[in-house]
Amino acid sequence: MKTPPMKTLGRVLRDILVWAVIGVFSFPLVWMLVTSVKPRDQTTSYPPALLPDQFTLEHYVNLLFNTAFPRLFVNSLFVSGVSTLVAVLCATAGAYGMTRYRFPGRSLMARLVLFAYLLPAVVLLVPLYVVVAGMGLGDSLWGLVVTYITFALPFALWLLRAFMAALPPDVEAAAAIDGASRWAVFFEIVIPQALPGIMATAVFTFIGAYNEYLYALVFVNADARMTLPPGVMRLVKESYNIDWNVMMAAAVVITAPVLVLFACVQRHFSQGFGAGSVKG
Amino acid sequence: MPALAAPMAGRRRGGWSLAARNAAFGYVLMLPSILFFLVLIAYPLLQTFWISLHRMSTLTRQGEFVGLANYRALLESADFWGAFGQSLVWTVCCLALQMGLGIGFALVLNARLTFRPAARALVLFPYLLSTVVAVLVWQWLFNDMYGYLNYLIEEYGLSDGPVNWLGQSPNAMISTILVAGWKHFPFVTIAVLARLQGIPPALYDAARIDGASAWSRFWDITLPQLRPVLAMVIILRTIWDFKEFDLIFMMTGGGPRSSTETLPLLIYKEVFPKLSMGSGAAIAMVMLVIMVAFFWVYAGQYDREERARSR
Repeated sequence: MKTPPMKTLGRVLRDILVWAVIGVFSFPLVWMLVTSVKPRDQTTSYPPALLPDQFTLEHYVNLLFNTAFPRLFVNSLFVSGVSTLVAVLCATAGAYGMTRYRFPGRSLMARLVLFAYLLPAVVLLVPLYVVVAGMGLGDSLWGLVVTYITFALPFALWLLRAFMAALPPDVEAAAAIDGASRWAVFFEIVIPQALPGIMATAVFTFIGAYNEYLYALVFVNADARMTLPPGVMRLVKESYNIDWNVMMAAAVVITAPVLVLFACVQRHFSQGFGAGSVKG
Repeated sequence: MPALAAPMAGRRRGGWSLAARNAAFGYVLMLPSILFFLVLIAYPLLQTFWISLHRMSTLTRQGEFVGLANYRALLESADFWGAFGQSLVWTVCCLALQMGLGIGFALVLNARLTFRPAARALVLFPYLLSTVVAVLVWQWLFNDMYGYLNYLIEEYGLSDGPVNWLGQSPNAMISTILVAGWKHFPFVTIAVLARLQGIPPALYDAARIDGASAWSRFWDITLPQLRPVLAMVIILRTIWDFKEFDLIFMMTGGGPRSSTETLPLLIYKEVFPKLSMGSGAAIAMVMLVIMVAFFWVYAGQYDREERARSR
């Protein structure tokens, strides 16, 4: 069947229109990239240069050597890494227990996990402030890790529950019949089988923690212990003359690890999404 | 954890039934999670309520019991009702924008399109961004001196002078809603797109044979098929938009003159700048009650979905 030319023309016009709209929605990202690599004089000129005639990495060098950014970055990686590790370890065991073993209160637990996952961080703000101070962890990265467990753990449990439920129980049953203990089944069969799901959950949990702002703002005050989101906002607010080139370079560098991690687990994205993944 | 299992192992042989041993193992696996839940979520929630009955300073954390005085004060506080109204406006507008954009992009990306995989990746992108990155980029675009948006507006003569995007009301609220719509609509797109791809093409073929127009195919096939996923997405996005703190606070700090101050920002303001823990906790309790209502709706919808899937 031949497509009539009018129809082809219509389709081409439609494609162009759709791509124009996508271009508009992606413009902020393009602008971020362009601003981060163009010379300062072309940033504040009128009209602003859409494509600079010179390409420079000076803003990145500036960011990495003349600002507090590297320390903020390391602190962020530490807090998100540790809280993800704790949350995913607990959640792997917990999610397996919840999906495979029957015990009184099981469905209540599932409900509570969902509830905790949807609970606004700000509702826990006041008492967590008291709890963290009570532990002697005020104004420390470890205190921040403790508060991050409040959202990282329910989130990881919720995601892993979906992954675990999708695993076929036959292999586990066969191993149990062969006389493997419950622990052996868990460590030698369940964990290897669920590993892709566990890794994907770890990545999403990490991204959630890496992006968190409220607790990071409240629970840490000292410059030396600040993490990226409040630290970068402070750089913006406290500078008399904001260097937007450097800020856009910071935006690009903050985004880079998220993109890399996401690319690694992309295949599991829609699966995780079904469970309502990625803290919003 | 194996350390915990050792003492259990002795008891296990003491004539426990298989079901009881399985249940015990289930509890052991859940133990670390349960402990964290008790210490970091259940106990703090009770504390929120308890603190809300006190007049308490954030600095000393000492206070006197005042009963429901904090709640009574809320009902008479213009700040509270203002924030309540702003929360309502914020949630409804963000939701409408995200649903509209999200469904629109899902339909477009489900149809034939040149370079469709690239289009999907680009559309998803804003959702992956850190909130702080989204805020930086948009503050730069909104910048009154060198911002690109004001350049465009001046270039095309859409306004007499530069627009004050974030510094005056109601501009600040509108601008922030636009950013939130831009950042979060991909969530709707992905969820709807996944469902669209699951609709059997045979349904459309049959309708086409019956002579149904594109419009009636959308109303009679696509929309009913999307209903469950739309219900889930609407509830989730309502919950998430309602509790949004990061984006609004970084974008405007609640200003100008509290015009973008929603309930989460008001809690922060009471507890930290104003150092009044008790009244902050009382607002947190109000938010909690609203959240429980949302949660109840969501859990009901979730159960219906699960039952439909297992059928």
